[in-house]
Amino acid sequence: MVERSGHRGYIGARPLNGSRTPQHVQNIVIRDYARRKNLQFLLSAVEHVMPGSYMILEDLLDELPRLGGIICYSIFMLPPDERRRREVYDRVLREGCNLHAAVEEIAIASNDDIGAVEDILLVNKYATIL
Amino acid sequence: MIDAAFLQPNEQGLADRFMSEGFVTSPADDRAGLDRIQRRAAELAAEHLRLPHANDPYDLLETIHSRVIPDELNGLRMHVIAGLNAEPWLRPTYFRLARSTIETIVGNELCMQRRVNLSIQLPADDSSLLATHSDVWSGDSPFEVVVWVPLVDVFRTKSMFLLPPQFNGEMQDRMASLRSAEELYKIIKPHLVWIDIPYGHVMVFNQTLMHGNRVNKEKGTRWSMNCRFKSIMSPYADKRFGEFFEPISLRPATRIGMQYKLPGGFNG
Repeated sequence: MVERSGHRGYIGARPLNGSRTPQHVQNIVIRDYARRKNLQFLLSAVEHVMPGSYMILEDLLDELPRLGGIICYSIFMLPPDERRRREVYDRVLREGCNLHAAVEEIAIASNDDIGAVEDILLVNKYATIL
Repeated sequence: MIDAAFLQPNEQGLADRFMSEGFVTSPADDRAGLDRIQRRAAELAAEHLRLPHANDPYDLLETIHSRVIPDELNGLRMHVIAGLNAEPWLRPTYFRLARSTIETIVGNELCMQRRVNLSIQLPADDSSLLATHSDVWSGDSPFEVVVWVPLVDVFRTKSMFLLPPQFNGEMQDRMASLRSAEELYKIIKPHLVWIDIPYGHVMVFNQTLMHGNRVNKEKGTRWSMNCRFKSIMSPYADKRFGEFFEPISLRPATRIGMQYKLPGGFNG
């Protein structure tokens, strides 16, 4: 049995919803979130800048058996395709882990939590911002 | 192709080697400066672990795995790198370690990463590995180089690997069909070069090439530092000027050029 330890940060180099946040600022947000939620923060992995690449997220999912979970900078870093996103949720929960998003202060720790996250992503897809 | 007539033969040789192999190693231009960095790193490590200051900093660093467990490693690393970056002499000294190579490969009007990084890899520890990557994939500009400085001898798995330039393009073309960086490593593994560097030498490498590390299977702990340099006026990516880079050698002609305004007020 491998001992689980800490939550790995997940930050990105691609703009989110048209905005760019420096990587060190993304880390500050995650570190602060981890401190407030009493989670042990492990050094973040940085997703690729290439559009559509989720190779780093896949590496983190492979690492889950050794982790307590993942803290994304934002829920909008997850793949835009719903089917692929649900595969991410399934793997996280199957491994007994949880998935947090620091900016939105939201977490998926059970199947019951998925709806709230999906609502945010769905509304964001259709709502306009002035 | 660089016109050799404008360059000294040694500069041309260095440039050719960098282009064909993706890296160059050379003795530190400022050996006393390197020893000072190593000594300060050892002092900070001893301070964090509440040990007496070591007479032999090399030995303390290389055998640190006998005094620290993997779960405590990040705390140690953060203490040492914060202490080093707090020294006003660190960055000018770090630049001087490889100044001649940087100026040949990049130019003489430079910006430098604001914080120098530190990596510590204990033998058999899989908790602080750097998966196969190119820095460009996580937001660095392809116009940057990395100056990589070991504080102990590094060789085989105690060092880092690099994919030589002749394989990089083909492997990048296959990436989109792969699931993870670990799968990518398996594909590139037969072509990788592990770079042996004795303490006292520094490396400048092409960070657009795939590189990373694996579990250190050697006997000693690896301590290495890295820092990025680029030509001030070359294009930036996600690692921006000001927040990530700062100028270290802005030259008078550029200062004059940036401030110059053509005469105005003409009405014809």
